[in-house]
Amino acid sequence: MLGRLLLLVTALVLVTAVFLVGRYVIDKVTRRDTSDRPPPWRDLNVLSLAAQVVTLGLIVTVGAWLWSNFRDRTDAIGLELTFDFLDQPSGISIADNPLSSNAGIRDALQQGVKNTFLIILLGIPLSVLFGTLVGIARLSANWLVRKLATAYVEFFRNIPPLLVIVFLWGAVFLNFPIGASPTAEAAWRPFGGWMIFSNSRFAFPSIIGLDNFGIYQLLIVASLVAAVGVWVWRTWVFNNKGTPHRRALWSLATVVVLGVAFFFALGGPFEFSKTTVENRVWSGGFRMQMPYVAVMMALVIYTASHIAEIVRGSILAVHKGQVEASHALALSGLQRYRFVILPQAFRIAFPPLINQFLNYTKNSSLAVAIGFAETTSIISNLFGQSQPAPQLLLILMVIYLIFSLILSVIGNLVNRRLQLKGA
Amino acid sequence: MSVADSNSVVHDEAQDTSDLPPTHRLSAGEWARKNLFNNWYNSLVTVVVVCGIAFAVLQTLGWLFSSDFLIIRRNLALFMIGQFPRDELWRTWVSGYLLMGAFGIGSGVLWRSAQADAEEKGLPTESHSWPDLLRRFWAIIAVLIFFVSFARTVPPFVALAGTFVVFFVSRELGRRFSAAVRTRGLFFAGLLGLLSLLVLAGSGGLVALTVGGLAGVWTLSEARRYADERGVGSPEMRGRSRRWRPPYPFKRRVGGALASRVAAVVVGVGVWFGLRTIDLGGYGWEDWGGLHLTLFVTVIGISAGLPVGILLALGRQSDLPVIKGASVIFIEFVRGVPLISLLMFSWLMLPLLFPIDLDIPGPLTRAMIVITAFSAAYIAEIVRGGLQAVPRGQIEAAQASGMSAGKIQRLIVLPQALRAVIPAMVGQFISLFKDTSLLTIIGLLEFLQTSAVANAQTEFLGQGLVTVTYPFVALGYWAFAYTMSKESRRVEERLGVGVR
Repeated sequence: MLGRLLLLVTALVLVTAVFLVGRYVIDKVTRRDTSDRPPPWRDLNVLSLAAQVVTLGLIVTVGAWLWSNFRDRTDAIGLELTFDFLDQPSGISIADNPLSSNAGIRDALQQGVKNTFLIILLGIPLSVLFGTLVGIARLSANWLVRKLATAYVEFFRNIPPLLVIVFLWGAVFLNFPIGASPTAEAAWRPFGGWMIFSNSRFAFPSIIGLDNFGIYQLLIVASLVAAVGVWVWRTWVFNNKGTPHRRALWSLATVVVLGVAFFFALGGPFEFSKTTVENRVWSGGFRMQMPYVAVMMALVIYTASHIAEIVRGSILAVHKGQVEASHALALSGLQRYRFVILPQAFRIAFPPLINQFLNYTKNSSLAVAIGFAETTSIISNLFGQSQPAPQLLLILMVIYLIFSLILSVIGNLVNRRLQLKGA
Repeated sequence: MSVADSNSVVHDEAQDTSDLPPTHRLSAGEWARKNLFNNWYNSLVTVVVVCGIAFAVLQTLGWLFSSDFLIIRRNLALFMIGQFPRDELWRTWVSGYLLMGAFGIGSGVLWRSAQADAEEKGLPTESHSWPDLLRRFWAIIAVLIFFVSFARTVPPFVALAGTFVVFFVSRELGRRFSAAVRTRGLFFAGLLGLLSLLVLAGSGGLVALTVGGLAGVWTLSEARRYADERGVGSPEMRGRSRRWRPPYPFKRRVGGALASRVAAVVVGVGVWFGLRTIDLGGYGWEDWGGLHLTLFVTVIGISAGLPVGILLALGRQSDLPVIKGASVIFIEFVRGVPLISLLMFSWLMLPLLFPIDLDIPGPLTRAMIVITAFSAAYIAEIVRGGLQAVPRGQIEAAQASGMSAGKIQRLIVLPQALRAVIPAMVGQFISLFKDTSLLTIIGLLEFLQTSAVANAQTEFLGQGLVTVTYPFVALGYWAFAYTMSKESRRVEERLGVGVR
């Protein structure tokens, strides 16, 4: 360490000397008048250069010192700093996933990232929806609703998200009233068994493609395009003729009619798959594991309490005249929120909402506490199999950095579109 | 009561009520019609919500009467202090009393100086009466009493009541301090706080060093005060004891300053060595646990993260690309990854970074290093907001009066910036308080983990008693976080932050 510090001081002196000599030479060559220049120890250029060299030198010195310690220790325990281990069998089997435990670590990590993505995909829209409802309820004219929403927000904002997750999992879901044992026989099966709610999984019907399914998917995309066309057409009609546009209804009708028509035209390109349970083996349909539901629901409950506060603040920040004008136009409460308040409130709310989305993403790593197989969980599992920790930690952090980066890029793009031009 | 009555009378007379619209208190029926049943859908919503609340209350009551709270009664100490050796419990109580005394003196002194400040400026003084304090801290007090009532024995009640008594008595004491000794009061409170750590952790190592340091600083300030009062040193120095001083020639200030510095070093080193040799023989923080550990880690995370965070924020504002770049990379990296991954880093990776001939510090120490870095990155962003809120004119005026860059930051920019971000800092404190629950995942015995430990005892294993312990833990977290967020809102109103 001492040797390194000496090296650092020498380097600092050298760089400063080189700078001063170089400047002197350049001044001489270009014949610049240097009489108004302060002495080097008061020259801002010299000082800022010195400060930066010192900082850089300190960072490099400390970094090199840590690295040499690290190499000493890894050599002592015989740890190899390569990424070859990614091809070894992971030894992880994920519930409801065809991945075998002989598949490589790389594949297991891929599944983990996919599961993290699934938590985000469903959870963020749900928490925005729920949070907005609670935020509006906090401003309700109804005293009881207002107090209830306030109690909700004040409670969940002030307890740790991890506690919400483990409580929902350990105290609620594992004690789920339907089915005291993990056998599906005790499950609740509404809609003639098309849906199953047990304490190990939630199951919903899904779609299985038959012949012509590829063509059908293409045609569905085409009818979505057609629906957008109908939307634009109805908007045009509304703008030019003043008749009610009802564009959502029209577009939906277009998709449904075309979808049904193509279904019969292609002779039934898909069928619905029902989840069946035989001897504890679940097959068919779309199945959600309970840990997934628990993590997602807990994070939605927690995040919604934060979003509610943001939404409430943004609604209060909408100019009072706007609300009064909407009263003067005799808009109903729903119309007032839909057309006047919420669009403006969301413009204000969006930047802090992006922060909440990022927090949600980072909090999804708490699933490790109840063992849902997302990124953190899988990597923590691999630590347990004494796979090399430094590389795995690097991978873990990089994955979350990428998630954060993508989310904030998307968020900022949307935000740019939301903001008023020229405002 | 009589004071309040006479106030209201004065209030009524002072205002001419004849041209104000008549106000009348709504009767219960009218109030309900206005707030609950003002139109058909609100009536519907009210009925639905009432049914829901009734259902929830019935369920909760059923749970309360059917549950067995034995697990909590047996493990109260586990929840509060983890695995701290049970035959050394007196340490925690003495430490708690000292801490409450420190809080009391600190709050009394601060209240008194705030009042003096307000009187000087002719502002209305804030009331800090007992009922007021009770109203502000009702959540914590209620939950503590609720917790202790599970013990079903008298001593914990008496001990808990004792801490409150100590708090109020020392607060009265702090309020009686005259202006001359108010700074001393704060030093004294700080020393008491450190002493409470000392009782718990023993006097070896870091705590003794800190106590010695504080004693040294205190001596320095006392010696300077003495020098000022006696006129030792230059006459210009009088009345400037705690301020920055202009660089007078060495000979003129040597009489006061050098002597006081020597005295400070002697006292500080003396206290340090004294404490080390006495050796109270306590238990370091690796043996702590429960709510106590959670609070301790939070306080350390914020107070150690604050200076680092300020430096990072200044670095991020800097014009020098290397310094700015390094700060930005650190801040954005730490903020971009989940705290769990950082804690895993402290658990698995940090041991590899220590020199090979050095003993690796314990897991909690490593976690605290990482938590400090984590909170520093978040504090840096908060402070940056405060720095940007300082008007540019302030800096320009300071430059015009010939201050150096360092002095501008220290005397002009930072005081204003830090004042503006106090509420946000409390918010960060709350969020770190909640985040310390993640220490569970690397197997440290903090407040949330105590619930799992209690449920793993042979007596309670496999009975699904998390339904009892988790709500209990949640209540503990809630009481502290809720009180802090209320306090931050109060501070926010008082500072007028956010009012434009």
